[in-house]
Amino acid sequence: MLDVLKIRILQGDPIVHDVRKNGTSPLYRGFPLISDAKCLAGCKECANICPVNAISLDPVSIDLGKCVFCPECEKACPQKKISFSRNYIMSSTTRNGLIVKNGMSSITPEKASEKIRKYFGRSLKLRQVSAGGCSGCELELNACGNINFDMGRFGIEFAASPRHSDGIVITGPITKNMAEATQICYDAVPDPKIIILTGACAISGGIFQNSTEIDRSFLDKHKIDLYVPGCPPNPLTFVTAVLNWLDRK
Amino acid sequence: MSQLNIHNTQHFKLDNIVFLKNADFRRTVSEDLQAGKRMIALCPVDRNDRSKIIAVFADSSTSMITVTGCDFANGPYELESFADKFPQTNFFECELAESHGFSLLNHPWQRPVRKQTVINGSTPYKFFGITGDEIHEVAVGPIHAGVIEPGHFRFQCHGELVYNLEINLGYQHRGIEELIIKANAIRRIILNESIAGDTVMGHMSAHCNAIESLCNITPGLRAQIIRSIGEEIERIAMHIGCLSGIANDVGFALAANSYGRIRTIMINSLGLICGSRFGRGLFNYGGVKFDIDEITMKTLLANMRSVKSDIAQINALMFSSVGALSRFENTGNVSFSDASSTGLVGIAARSCDIKTDTRVNFPYGAYRYSHLSMMTMLTGDVFARAKIRSLEIDESFRYVIEQLENLPEGSISVDHGDLAAGKAVISMTEGFRGEIVHIAITDKSGNLMQYKIKDPSFNNWYGLSLALRNTAISDFPLCNKSFDLSYAGHDL
Repeated sequence: MLDVLKIRILQGDPIVHDVRKNGTSPLYRGFPLISDAKCLAGCKECANICPVNAISLDPVSIDLGKCVFCPECEKACPQKKISFSRNYIMSSTTRNGLIVKNGMSSITPEKASEKIRKYFGRSLKLRQVSAGGCSGCELELNACGNINFDMGRFGIEFAASPRHSDGIVITGPITKNMAEATQICYDAVPDPKIIILTGACAISGGIFQNSTEIDRSFLDKHKIDLYVPGCPPNPLTFVTAVLNWLDRK
Repeated sequence: MSQLNIHNTQHFKLDNIVFLKNADFRRTVSEDLQAGKRMIALCPVDRNDRSKIIAVFADSSTSMITVTGCDFANGPYELESFADKFPQTNFFECELAESHGFSLLNHPWQRPVRKQTVINGSTPYKFFGITGDEIHEVAVGPIHAGVIEPGHFRFQCHGELVYNLEINLGYQHRGIEELIIKANAIRRIILNESIAGDTVMGHMSAHCNAIESLCNITPGLRAQIIRSIGEEIERIAMHIGCLSGIANDVGFALAANSYGRIRTIMINSLGLICGSRFGRGLFNYGGVKFDIDEITMKTLLANMRSVKSDIAQINALMFSSVGALSRFENTGNVSFSDASSTGLVGIAARSCDIKTDTRVNFPYGAYRYSHLSMMTMLTGDVFARAKIRSLEIDESFRYVIEQLENLPEGSISVDHGDLAAGKAVISMTEGFRGEIVHIAITDKSGNLMQYKIKDPSFNNWYGLSLALRNTAISDFPLCNKSFDLSYAGHDL
């Protein structure tokens, strides 16, 4: 018994109390900032080096739906125009909302509709579907529920069955072999239901965007409610994304 | 000399491989298998041309890798199976048949590896079945109850007891080997970091060692040690995560949550070194992208010492709990002979007293200079697979702290040139699950024409099937967690 108490005391107070204001490691690569610095004439270094074609030029913009936060562009730019900040709060309700342009310092999603907030605002059960994910996103989504991040305190939890869920969270580029199962899982969720795409692979195919083994037709058929970028997204990115979307404190 | 003998990560000219006639190949490979060598690859030398294949064997007792070639240029593309006598080749042969259209002669159990439709066309693969009173079949997956990757499990049960479990994977197949061949250097790195998101360090180490060997460069000692520190922190973190899962599966919430808490500290330590909690972005061709400065060093050492002391207490609690031990002991047994004949690797093998650890048997990188002890257990049950993790964690802590305290000065990166043309390399590392193999082969113009990856899960999923025989189906989650295998690494 004493040993048990000792271990309990050892736990201390590991929880992240304010999920919106937590420190990150100094090298953490979060929301990229694009400064006013002028591009050199004809320079395409950042766009050429980006492994996932996330960068467009004239003017420079970064598509967070593709970005794997590697920071090759930051290193390649001779003008230091791109720098990754330590801000982990980023998500969008639209695909276009993930495009970062000059001068932007963060992106926050639009509020969910009143109906969604009424239904799911205090309790949201999600079914996670790994559709070709490398398990990076899965590890971080699992971590959302651990004693450090404790998403459960907000009433947000992962459920075992789609029948018990209010929506699905997709990770991975959706492989051909998982396309059917993803659809079946979505169909099994009772209405009203939501879809959250987590990680670069789910949002755009990420590093697998040119693979012949993926089938993303599921995404053409359904409206996506929330995009959470990252490779993988930090647990706090996911937690704050859902909280901001549901307009929760 | 009909075979090529090489060391881990030693590059060699493709011309040095002798491609034998089918009958000679068969005889030579049989001799290797008879001698107790372990198959680590069976693939064509050119991904798009199946006329020449290689069988690669590892011999732990001599630390040598053996490459035997076979020429199929005049067809027919038929391979006489070795699997009947040597089950360890079974799945490699299935993979060769599925990926490159070889027909297997006298194969005892040809089944899909990643693509359901290649062998059987539109008729679904037929699982083994049993009939009789009180017999029932349980089908689970691909989507499981939890935040976990997809796979299909088919149990044949008699009451509570499992007679046979078949595991059917491929749901995560995203064509990673094909993409690696076509990719430039930067894409290759991101792809290799995404083979298995929990083994970023292990796979990146294998990949970088392979590419560096083909470029004929060697990273400096400081870079190599930082790499091995990354690999060991990953091992500690993932082993702790597994122990947390095991504790959770026997309903031991305090241990599960305590392990969970310290796992966070460990992956955050990786984040401290390179910005990513899983070590993404740390490895680069020629070394590492991030150095460990004074301040990071202090925090890292403090983290290591505090987790090391905490985990000793949590382990003491878990491994002295009668309730937990009664679930662990004698559950999901795998025998030494089954494990060695089916070619299990890593934790699954060492828990059955098979002495295999790439860091010891085929040392690479910093492990050539600073050694780690190999941990083995005798019983091959859930207890052995859990306990061995706690032993490896202790050993890795010793290693990491020692290396951090004695980190040599030096540059963290050297320039790398182009890949040498017409060369090949076999690179083995020990990920936290076990032996990882990467094979890279370049064509006459120095482009990759074959990139073959073998994750330890490729060998070990069958070990889980064996563990479930005569085990209660209710113990499946516990057995599954004790193996802690990767779907993504298997499916590629």
